[in-house]
Amino acid sequence: MEQQYRPMPGTPVEELETPCLILDMDALDHNMDVMADYYEGRDSKLRPHSKNHKTPALAHRQIRRGGTVGGVCSAKVSEAEVMVHGGIPSVFITSEVAAPLKIDRLCSLARQAEMLVACDNAENARDLSKAAAAQGVDLGVVIELETGLRRCGVQEMEQGVTLAKAIDALPGLTFKGIMSHQTIPDMPEREDRVTEGYRVIQNVIDMKDAIVAAGIPVEIVSTGETWSYDVAGEIPGVTEVQGGSYLVMETGYGYMTDFHYSGKVLTTVISAPRPGVAIADAGQKAVSTLRGLPEVEGLPGVTVDSMDPDHVILHLDSGIQLTPGDQITLIPSQQDATVSRWDRFIGVRDGKVETVWDIQARGCHN
Amino acid sequence: MERPVFQPTGTPVMDLDTPALVVDLDVMDRNIETLHGRFDQSSAKVRPHVTGHQTPKIAHRQLQAANTVGGISVTSVGEAEVFSDAGITDILVSSQIVTRSKIRRLCTLAGSNRIGVAVDNPQNVSDLSQAAEAQGVTLGVLVELDVGLGRCGVAPGDEALELARAVANSPGLRFDGIMAIAPLPSFSSEASDFPERQERDATSWQVLQHVLETRELIEKNSLPVSVVSVGGTHNYDVAAGMAGITEVQAGSYPLMDHLYCRMRPEFSPAAKVLAAVISRPTGESAVLDAGHKATGPDRGLAVLEGVAGAQAVRFSAEHGVLDLQSGPAQNMKSGDKAWLVPFNLGLCFNQYDYVRAVRGDKLEGFWPIAGRGRFD
Repeated sequence: MEQQYRPMPGTPVEELETPCLILDMDALDHNMDVMADYYEGRDSKLRPHSKNHKTPALAHRQIRRGGTVGGVCSAKVSEAEVMVHGGIPSVFITSEVAAPLKIDRLCSLARQAEMLVACDNAENARDLSKAAAAQGVDLGVVIELETGLRRCGVQEMEQGVTLAKAIDALPGLTFKGIMSHQTIPDMPEREDRVTEGYRVIQNVIDMKDAIVAAGIPVEIVSTGETWSYDVAGEIPGVTEVQGGSYLVMETGYGYMTDFHYSGKVLTTVISAPRPGVAIADAGQKAVSTLRGLPEVEGLPGVTVDSMDPDHVILHLDSGIQLTPGDQITLIPSQQDATVSRWDRFIGVRDGKVETVWDIQARGCHN
Repeated sequence: MERPVFQPTGTPVMDLDTPALVVDLDVMDRNIETLHGRFDQSSAKVRPHVTGHQTPKIAHRQLQAANTVGGISVTSVGEAEVFSDAGITDILVSSQIVTRSKIRRLCTLAGSNRIGVAVDNPQNVSDLSQAAEAQGVTLGVLVELDVGLGRCGVAPGDEALELARAVANSPGLRFDGIMAIAPLPSFSSEASDFPERQERDATSWQVLQHVLETRELIEKNSLPVSVVSVGGTHNYDVAAGMAGITEVQAGSYPLMDHLYCRMRPEFSPAAKVLAAVISRPTGESAVLDAGHKATGPDRGLAVLEGVAGAQAVRFSAEHGVLDLQSGPAQNMKSGDKAWLVPFNLGLCFNQYDYVRAVRGDKLEGFWPIAGRGRFD
């Protein structure tokens, strides 16, 4: 990894070794502006999700730009380590942490930063409490409520209130509030997103009210994501919104036209063996295809026909020719699954390299 | 970069922090023995293609086995650099290298290694020749044939002959011969609808026959063909039985994956992802700490192994959801471990920086997947 390619600032895009993961800096800044402009001056704030970019430098840039809670979300303990070691003062692990080894790592982080963690059952809460008390630290605990994702989370109101009481009574833990993820509905119309957003997020608000009614204060209500950033942010009672995809963007979120595509994979044609076909050097190891093939940027008549692990096969409309050495820009259908295949972002502005950022938490599955 | 807990050697495999990419060395050794053994009576040898596992330690084990050409094949110049640094000196880049800076890097490698490269167009031949001459090195060149994959390569026959001539007449280049990557039998990830083995073998034989016919054509025109490099794990035994083929670029056989196990039952899966249950939200479901990012699912989802009555039904970026259909499976609790067999080996290794090498259920070490991410 150390010896990997790192172009000098000022290098023209045409001279970059490919494939490489580039970040269009204008689009990146635009996306941060949209979020900051929306959340600044509002009761609710953005808590950017770091699982999307896995890069402390980008987390700092998001926080500095404004409109955030001053911290991030992480999906995994090892990812949170990278953020805390990178100087982020507050990290919320939006997943259950069950293994004793990981709970110990989490507690150790709580000496260096404010640590919040999701929880959906009392046994896990007791394990967290035992470890936090033993290490003499305080963990903030947020109950996860299931609202349609059919994944983790408590399933019903009563369960949530009981769990909140249990957490509130445990040493080493501070009951902070509740969170919920929602599935990504493919809803291009804002009106539909508003209706759907209110519908699912109302469950979270109801649970908050029930816990408060039971005499336990609820400081954090954390929900929503990129598709609902402008819905969750309007709902009274929501304190923070977990947006992540908006930063790098993807064709899967193409209907969220407020945001621009900033993450792209640059690839080079290596073979043009027959009319109508060209092969380039980025495959599925470099671009996620789980939610569809990437789009080709700025070359009408050139489309992605298929991909294998190491190559992309391009279809060329009749009359269009590509030559080995030609560069192609791909816009992935899914950003976080693409970013997680790379060790480095190459930030590009006005056709030249502006900066290179290590994706330090890539591969942090633990 | 992956940040595993580097647990000490001897740690029981089920105590490894998860998700963990694990290779069972006993199974891997058996797989290697099985494939390499098939070449005992063959004039062809094995050239392990390492682009799937990207792991120098595993490549060295393959080269220590019987019946190899003493070298490997890779897909990119970056991978060639990694394996050259790991001490492997015979490397075939089985892909086209076309940009000026990459050709320069390739020639630099050729200064201290035996480097081969695939070509499929005359302009590229002339670019390679100029650079090799300028750097004072020799590149071994294989003309790539397209025998049905529909990817890179020239058509077998006259087109290949013409390109072979161009290579042979180019200073700095050594015309070694021809190579072809045969397509896998078409499959669906849903059902076991592979063509019958016999039918598959017949197709492989026909495809490889085209390669041999081109060899004959080129030799008839007074160009000696010393290398005919073909095949893979899916047709290694067919290739081994055909006179005139000199090497087989097999890659999946040491570790295997769900797809290749269905095609080739003589090998067993040696590389799997160990995951742990982190939540039991309902009586019929369990949530694992391994999702897309930990399994590499682009060509098919990972398959749960060894939990009777349970099935991995859904993955999201960071999580996998198990459907617990019957009694014993429903006893799974938070912290329990489960094995996932990746659908595609290369895409799974692509997500990790270390593979945990295990023998007899005890950890032997963390092996760096040093070629990971070297798409360049």
